[in-house]
Parts: sequence; structure tokens; C-alpha cells
Amino acid sequence: MLGFQPVDFFGGLFNDLAESDRLQNIALATGHFTTPNYPVPLVLFHVMVVLLGILSMGFQLLASRLLNPYFGSSLIVWAWLISTFLAAFSLGSIIGGWISNAPAPQRERAQWIVAVIAVGSLAFTAFFGRAMLGLIEISFTEITTGLLVACLALFFLPVTTLSSFGPQCVEFLASRGTPPGKASGLVYGVSTLGNIAGVMLTAFLLIPHFPVSTLLYLWLGVALVNLTTLILLLRSPSHFSTA
Amino acid sequence: MKLCCLFTRYSVLWGLSLFSAIAAETPDYIENHDTIYNNLTVEKRGTVVELRARSRAGEYLESAVDLADPLHLVVPYTRSLFAAVFFEPKPANVLMIGLGGAGFHRVFTYAFPSARLLSVELDPKVWELCQTKLAFVPTVKTPVTVMDGRLFVKRNRETWDWLILDAFRGGFVPPHLKTQEFYRECAARLTARGVFVTNLHQDTELFAADLRTIQSVFPQVLLFQTHGRGNVIVCAVKYSAPDLNRETDVVTLGKDNPRLAETLELDSLATERTPFSAKFVATAPILTDDFSPVEFLDALKTNNTKAR
Repeated sequence: MLGFQPVDFFGGLFNDLAESDRLQNIALATGHFTTPNYPVPLVLFHVMVVLLGILSMGFQLLASRLLNPYFGSSLIVWAWLISTFLAAFSLGSIIGGWISNAPAPQRERAQWIVAVIAVGSLAFTAFFGRAMLGLIEISFTEITTGLLVACLALFFLPVTTLSSFGPQCVEFLASRGTPPGKASGLVYGVSTLGNIAGVMLTAFLLIPHFPVSTLLYLWLGVALVNLTTLILLLRSPSHFSTA
Repeated sequence: MKLCCLFTRYSVLWGLSLFSAIAAETPDYIENHDTIYNNLTVEKRGTVVELRARSRAGEYLESAVDLADPLHLVVPYTRSLFAAVFFEPKPANVLMIGLGGAGFHRVFTYAFPSARLLSVELDPKVWELCQTKLAFVPTVKTPVTVMDGRLFVKRNRETWDWLILDAFRGGFVPPHLKTQEFYRECAARLTARGVFVTNLHQDTELFAADLRTIQSVFPQVLLFQTHGRGNVIVCAVKYSAPDLNRETDVVTLGKDNPRLAETLELDSLATERTPFSAKFVATAPILTDDFSPVEFLDALKTNNTKAR
């Protein structure tokens, strides 16, 4: 049920983390979870989750375009690329799980560190990706080794850090009254919709009309906004009624 | 009685013609192969073996060979690839990206017995079928490497008299083999008088973009349109002089290489040369490694035959 409150994106978000934890403990102890009363920040939260999905999978198509001139478009390239992204999703989820269960001060610090790494590594790929690929191509005559190094150097870190926000988003919903299973399903469902949107937008709208370099700058800008907003939202207090 | 005999005779004749028609339509065998890059069909009908790849418009004829007459170029555009001979009549070292059924190779080795023709093919199954079904026997003069074409051009340091790009994957060319950077890499691997040859399809928006991109790298670009087909063969060189638009001396060429004249009908090949206007390509995008929406342009149909 969508009960829109007056727009107050961040003004009331940083007041009552302790209250949030208290209410979560009550919910867990009584087993009485209630339907959240969605405020505007929560709608914004879902938009950010969709964006997170768009950033991750759209980036895979951009990555393939970056790699093709240096390593071709053979099955070997796709195998390494997909494996790298899946490994990054895996590690990112584990890291995200650790962060989401850390005490509040450490969690907030870790979130900012991860976000800085995500934006920094995306910036590295956007600004120095081609130069790096040229260097790797010369340094490694064996295509498999070259691909491994290229994928690790340019794509692994951004995707790992981006995907670490998934479990934190689950924790965000669970701590605000949504049952954990439902929270998990909701976040991964919405995020996967973002993945689909990312693939389709990138393949049919962005790549046909814009250079890859421009799109990488776009990704960098969107990631900056997305992660900043998401971290501020994740730090917000609970917005649900305890009925 | 006479009417009855006449009826019987016509019935027999009709039956025979129907039988022969069915026999002609029935292939000796059809095989389907799911490879890591393609869905291929090999079909033998009499002495002709066809290699086709599934594409969005059905099946795209990759190659065909007449086993009884290997010098007969079954696929018409294959002959047009030999237009390079008008600009470099004595190739000693030739690179071909895209093996297909090696129909081109048989005529090439006959016409230029001392030349070397190295082929690069991405799909190992194509290479296997080429040997097992299309009866291609590689020699030291016709080696084959299984590898991505661009990767090969980057890593191999040889120079080529002809560099032929005829790499299709189910009817379309991978984007990284269509860019300005790749054409520059090809130009760098040509000998001083070397010719870059590529096979284009003229029914999509991609055609104009291809031409503009090639023109941005090669000072002289000439087109040969395969008679009655949608294929346009591009011949491009990296020198500005002499002007290639001079009349081709087909007679001298034929005298110098009678085998070539015998197999290719050089007069007819020379008439395939077709002009194109600068206006036609002026607004097309130059494809680069950074911007190469090949699939998108390839999907946009255009009536560029008239525009050209």
C-alpha cells in the first residue's frame, strides 16, 4: 500500500536508527511483522535498487564492447566475461552480507569505503580502460591469461562493490518491518528487473546511439548519484507502523 | 485407340518429368550442426555441397563447392573477390579472414600455384566440415588457423598482397571487424601495392557506414557489384597514385595468367565495377571501436541501390 508522505528526501532520515533497531527487535520477538507504510524515501529506495541492477548488467554489455577489439568476440571472451561478473556478484553478496550485519558506525564507514571503491574503479575503467587493454594485449600473448587479467583489472571491482549493496538493501527492508524472506525476494526481484532494463536499454537504445566511452562516463555519473543516495537511504530510520 | 495411346504416352512423360523434378529437389543428405558460433547446415545435392548458416532471415549461404568441378565457383560473389587481381595481378602472399567452404581457395591455387593463401577461421567446426564434407585439402601453400580474425591481424607480423575479409556469422559481420581501427590494422599489414578486399551487403544502412569507414582509411576505394546479387565487393588500397580508376587491361592480364582468364571470365568480372557517389556516404557514421552499432545498422533496411 502506497501512502505517500510529504517530500522530505533526507531531512528525517538520520534521526532514529536506535528506534529502528528497537522496533525490529520487537517484530522479531513477537513474530508480528506489519505491512510497511511506504514513504517517498522507500519508493526512492526501490528506484535506486532498479538503478543498481541497470548499472550491473548494462555494464556487462559495455564490457564486451570494450574487450572485442582486443580479444575478439569469440565464445572464450563471453565465457570469461560472464564468469567474472558472476564471481563479482558472488563476492559482492558475501561482502554485502558482512557489512549489513556490522554495528552501525562500522557499517556506515564500510558503505562509504565500498562506494568510493566502486566509483573509483568505474572511473579507472572509463578513463584508462582502453589504454589498459592495449597494455594487457601486448603483455599477454596467451588470450586466456590476457582476458583473465583484463576482466579482473577493469570489471571485477566495480561489479563486486555494486553488488555488495544488494544484501544491505534486504537488511534495510527487513529492519523496517518487512519479513526477511519477503524483503529478500522483493530486493532481488526488483534488482533483477533492473538487470533486464539495463540489458535492454544498453543493447537497444544506448549502444546504437552513443560511443562506449560516453556510456562509461554516464555509468560513472549514475553510479555516483545512485550509491550516494542509497547510502543516505540505508542510514535512514524506520518508516513503518507497528500496528 | 489412338487417343488412348496418346494419353498413355503423355501420362508416362508427365510421370517421368515429375520423378526427375522430385529427384532434383531431393538432396543426397542434409546435416545440421550446432557449433559454438553457428547453426550450420550441410546439404549435398548431386555433386554440389552447400554450407549454410542460420540467420534471422532464414539460412544464409556461406559457401558451396562443386565436387566434380572444383574450379566452378558456385557462389557468384566468390568470383568477384578476385577483382583484387586488377590492382595486384601477382599476389604472392594472401590472407583470407573467413574460410567458409574454401570455394575461393581452389580457383586461387589453380590460378596462382606458387602463391601462399593463409586462412583464418573462428569456428573450428567450419574448418572440420570444410575438410570432411567440402573436400578441402590444406597444403603448405594453403594453411588454416583457427582464431579470431582481428586477433590474428594484430599478432601476425607478415605483410599481405591481398587481404580478404569475408567473415560472416550467420549473415552478419562481428562489430570489431567493421571499425576504422581494424581497417587501419589491415592497411598496416598490406604490402605497398597490396589490396584490401571485403564483401559487403548493400541492402541495409550498414552499407553506407561501411563504405565511409573504409574510405576514411584507404585513399582509393573501388566497388564491384556481383551480377544479379546483393553482394558488393570493395577493393581498397593505401596509395593515392596511380589512380585506380583507369581502364583495366584485361587482355594483358589474361595473357600473363591464362589459368586465371580460363576460370574467371575476366571481361565479365571487369564489368562488375560500379561507381558510388560521395553524397551517398556523406551522412553515414564512421564506425570505430568506440561506436560501432553494427547490429543496429544492419537491421535497418534501405533502398540504397538507387541512392548509390
